[in-house]
Amino acid sequence: MAQEKRDVWVFSEQPQHAFELLGKGKALSAELGSELVTLASTQSSADEYIRHGADKVLLVNNPLLEEFHVDTYTDALSELANEHKPEVILIGSTRNGLELAPRLAERLKTGCVTEATKIELDADKKFLLMDRVAMGGNIMETHISRSKPQIATVPKGLFSQNPPDPSRKGQVIVTQPKIKPPATKLLEKKPKEVKGVKLSDASIIVSFGRGVRKKEDLVLIEDFAKAIGGAIGCSRPIAEDLRWLPEEQYIGLSGQKVNPKLYFACGISGQIQHLTGIRNSKVIVSINNDPKAPIFEFSDYGIVGDLYVILPILTDAVRQLAKS
Amino acid sequence: MVKIIVLVKQVLQTAELKIDKASKGIVTQGVPRVISETDKNAIEEAVRIKEKHGGKITAISMGSPEAKEALREALAMGVDEAILVTDPRFEGSDSHAVASVLAAAVTKILDYDLIICGAYSEDMFAFQVGPRLAELCNLPQFTYATKITLEGGKIIVERDLENERQIVEGKTPCLVTVVREINEPRLPTLMAIMASSKKPTSLWSGDDLSLTEEELGYNGSLDELLRSTVSSGERKRNILQGDPKDAVLKLTKTLQQEGVLKG
Repeated sequence: MAQEKRDVWVFSEQPQHAFELLGKGKALSAELGSELVTLASTQSSADEYIRHGADKVLLVNNPLLEEFHVDTYTDALSELANEHKPEVILIGSTRNGLELAPRLAERLKTGCVTEATKIELDADKKFLLMDRVAMGGNIMETHISRSKPQIATVPKGLFSQNPPDPSRKGQVIVTQPKIKPPATKLLEKKPKEVKGVKLSDASIIVSFGRGVRKKEDLVLIEDFAKAIGGAIGCSRPIAEDLRWLPEEQYIGLSGQKVNPKLYFACGISGQIQHLTGIRNSKVIVSINNDPKAPIFEFSDYGIVGDLYVILPILTDAVRQLAKS
Repeated sequence: MVKIIVLVKQVLQTAELKIDKASKGIVTQGVPRVISETDKNAIEEAVRIKEKHGGKITAISMGSPEAKEALREALAMGVDEAILVTDPRFEGSDSHAVASVLAAAVTKILDYDLIICGAYSEDMFAFQVGPRLAELCNLPQFTYATKITLEGGKIIVERDLENERQIVEGKTPCLVTVVREINEPRLPTLMAIMASSKKPTSLWSGDDLSLTEEELGYNGSLDELLRSTVSSGERKRNILQGDPKDAVLKLTKTLQQEGVLKG
């Protein structure tokens, strides 16, 4: 009888995100005693994946896979999954990944956990335990899939990539799954303008909320962010109701999810919606004049005080440190 | 003339949810039920398309009997007909089971050009039902729409991704998921609210959709919820009070020791 292979597959259209998934996939496949597999559309990306930990790359030389399209990638991944029967598929939780994973799962008639916050095997290594937040961030759920492959989408920054190993060898299998031309056609794409550092890449973020009373007072935040070398973020009402910053800069469950080393919450009360967006930060510091603000419950360090008083002192202190 | 199906989910207003510290459970009592925010944008968009091209809008909500309130609001906003799909056997549905029920309902309606729904629901943020339903109905999907333009059988959709905006073209019938940016949902006028009570509504159960016991709710799900716990932040909670200068000094020193602040 053929032994189950229980391979772990990973996919993201964003290479850096794919490398992170390979990092996690490596740990899972080691536990399962199986291979780590990914899909590539060019030889050079196949080599890159092997350097980052893939044991096997399914190389599909098909012009229909050059650009990400939900139709073509659903075709390719479902055909290949039906042929090779992987145990797990981890997909990068970008907006592309989030429209791919459920469609793929539906075609394969399997479960899918989107935006997983934790993934691990159960004690018997039978199931993947997949955590995600629900009910607006109030509840942490643990899911398992009743069928296979077990599919989860994983946000960027949750797992770390292994450093590339140029001497690593892997198997490249050239394959031609049946792919139909997509049903929709891309007419135009425009990159979004981002001022300064992107929040998702920032290692320090200075974020503010309703505690900043007027738009002119933003200078307090800007000065501090500049002194400490941080990107500026905000809570949802600042972007959606007041429109002081573009929507790309609000952090929360429905907005950006960030993972800096250091996160400053200035005048943010700490709605669960916001907290869910910052949970992967290493150190959270909050400044708020209300000692009962929920943000303090979710902070490593905090100062109870008026941000109009605290921030200028903090900005000065950071400037002094930079000079010394 | 455009025939539109709009999908409406009623959710608990998540911002109003509180944690009961003693029982470590969520307090849902007294929390208002509302239309999930992006579904409200979907209703608004359907109404705007109808205002421009003429046609008919049918709203479908799968949920508890209370969801008829959400459908009443949809009717007041300009939807023509509402169908509540409800059945105690739906309890425990995952996104596959939900999509299967909606697919059966959509198939029963049969005649449509466009299905519109929110990209995600406000309570679960799973982003799953739209793509799963599109797959079940074998429809092209346009996700994260910020603008929808119809010309004959052609549809042009502007999409919002993390780092870029796209313009994508395709044909109807299709499914479109929308994000909040697409429009500002209207507040229905008193007249519209009054008139909405005269609009046709139906109530469908699993039997009306010819679905078997195995396809419904917990039995019909592919994903199993093993456990759920109240989400808690495990943070140090080292909060400083008193003289601002002392507090700032202590803070910067600690952050340096933690290795997250240079200097």
